[in-house]
Amino acid sequence: MKGNGRIIEYALSTLARRKFKNFSVAAVFSVLIAVLSSILFLTHAYKTETLKLLDNSPAIILQNMSGGRHELIPTEYIKTLSGIAGVGQIAPRYWGYYYDSLTSANYTLMAVDEGMQDVKLIEGRMPQTDTECAVGRGVADLRQAGLKDDFFLITGAEQSVNLKIVGIFTANSAILTNDLVVMTKDGLVKFFNMPADRATDITIEVNNPAEVSMVARKIRHAFPNSRPILKSELIRTYDNIFNWRGGIVLTMFFGAIAAFMIFVWDKATGINAQERQEIGILKAIGWETSDVLTLKFWEGAVVAICSFFTGLILAYVHVFYFNAQFLAPVLKGWSVLFPRFEPMPYIDIYQIFVLFFLTVVPYVAAGVVPSWKAAISDPDVVMR
Amino acid sequence: MDAVIRTEGVSKVFNAGLADEVRAIAAVSIEIPRGRITVFKGPSGSGKTTLLGLIGCMSRPTEGKIFVEGKDVAKLPERFLTNVRRKTFGFIFQHFNLIRGLTVRENVMLPLYPTDIDGRQMERRMEEILDKLDLTAKRAVKVEKLSGGQQQRVAIARAMINEPAVILADEPTAHLDTKLSEDFLNIVTTLNIDGKTIVIATHDPLIYDKPYIDNIIEMRDGAVKETAPL
Ligand SMILES: Nc1ncnc2c1ncn2[C@@H]1O[C@H](COP(=O)(O)OP(=O)(O)O)[C@@H](O)[C@H]1O
Ligand SMILES: [Mg+2]
Repeated sequence: MKGNGRIIEYALSTLARRKFKNFSVAAVFSVLIAVLSSILFLTHAYKTETLKLLDNSPAIILQNMSGGRHELIPTEYIKTLSGIAGVGQIAPRYWGYYYDSLTSANYTLMAVDEGMQDVKLIEGRMPQTDTECAVGRGVADLRQAGLKDDFFLITGAEQSVNLKIVGIFTANSAILTNDLVVMTKDGLVKFFNMPADRATDITIEVNNPAEVSMVARKIRHAFPNSRPILKSELIRTYDNIFNWRGGIVLTMFFGAIAAFMIFVWDKATGINAQERQEIGILKAIGWETSDVLTLKFWEGAVVAICSFFTGLILAYVHVFYFNAQFLAPVLKGWSVLFPRFEPMPYIDIYQIFVLFFLTVVPYVAAGVVPSWKAAISDPDVVMR
Repeated sequence: MDAVIRTEGVSKVFNAGLADEVRAIAAVSIEIPRGRITVFKGPSGSGKTTLLGLIGCMSRPTEGKIFVEGKDVAKLPERFLTNVRRKTFGFIFQHFNLIRGLTVRENVMLPLYPTDIDGRQMERRMEEILDKLDLTAKRAVKVEKLSGGQQQRVAIARAMINEPAVILADEPTAHLDTKLSEDFLNIVTTLNIDGKTIVIATHDPLIYDKPYIDNIIEMRDGAVKETAPL
């Protein structure tokens, strides 16, 4: 081993000599990184998961508008729709909202449909008769109900519908299924008292993705009262929600960055007399300025890189094994029925790089720069 | 005369232009003969340390020329100055300047860390020097645990590790009793016999009164008073 290798070795021994100081620094550094990357991991996992689930949604959802409000849509539209060039599969959907006074929460009631078979993440099965239902994790938890338990919904003045829970969506799909109650189509139509020739909305697939907006234009032309919602718009909306929610989280993020900067600044504003003396000695016994800077670089880099990865691992475990327990309270505003979300480990490498450059680089620089001032001055100071 | 180092009209001003400006030495022209022991003698504040630092390339003079092996180093950029310092000089500082927390072995090898010297060769050199200075048993001991005399021997070992032609020592006996001071002189004369040029700055008569020390440069108020006949 030569030159640089030995300087690295010496950097390690220098760190070991100031065990207590360096250990405290590394601990603070790791915790800050853990907080920062927990935030990044969690928001990214949320976003990825949501967008992935949205991916299964149809190209166009057609709603009927009346007086600017969402109305039930006549199913006879389907005939006209299938005549439009480029249109693929068309299906009516039946769903609605239900305010549960028992638990003070809004549920989304939905009829079983084709697309839903894609959500395989269920314990039990989908409802097959009008007296069966499948519910989201959040609903089940709120009602403290499990598989095969009774589940009743109040329809009006002292009347209720009694269902049996035959399926529960698992937490993995919580973002979309948490507040869901899935029933058969007949059960749902009866529950909401919907006319037989109406649906809540209509989903339309488009064979060629490039033609989606053209198809939407034709639909609007054929049914001026309708509003086609494109998947791309939906994704954009969700993106915005995330960006907005992300704002709260971002505030935290910058809080942590600020804490980090104070920490770096504290280091940058001074090397103590002992360190200065040591730099002088090294220079006096023949080390070049660049050798001293190499040493300081490695001292900083070892602490920063070790702390960075420790923090990263802590965050990974926190978010993906402990479901971000420490962050959850901050994110409660995310949904009325906060999903007990078990995020899948999606990681954005780009974000990790950015975090690396925002933390490790300033930290190392903060170690090198003040030493640089000491290292360029004449070593004769150590003679006094 | 074969001079390793020669100065021509060297001055050093500290804090130039400030209220506390000090002219530490002025118009010093001396020669350090090769292979001998030279002593800078003079009272405290007379400029011995400053001159030692200048000839050892620790800093640059405000005026004048300093020739090391015939080459003027007064205006050399920092990097080259370091290089000359590393190749030519070994320093024994007044306060030893060992690095606390490191062992004897680490302190001694420290000057070689940034060099390309092969690790095994480095070890061999270190062992040899530790043996010569009777430090082998202490090799793994942290330097702050050693006595003053032992610490000085570590400082000597460190000064020797890069096999310099010239060894510079500043007030080497200031912290030693008579016995240890004699020991130091013995070590230094051995090194001198081995061919090293030695320069000692001191105001200790125990050193400059030794009959075999025949090249004394006497300083007063930053100037050379007289040079003993060679
Ligand atoms: N870095 C410095 N800054 C200001 N004054 C200095 C500095 N170094 C030395 N001096 C002054 O220069 C003079 C000579 O000092 P020095 O070379 O240490 O003398 P000696 O070693 O003979 O005691 C003294 O007056 C001292 O105070
Ligand atoms: Mg002095």
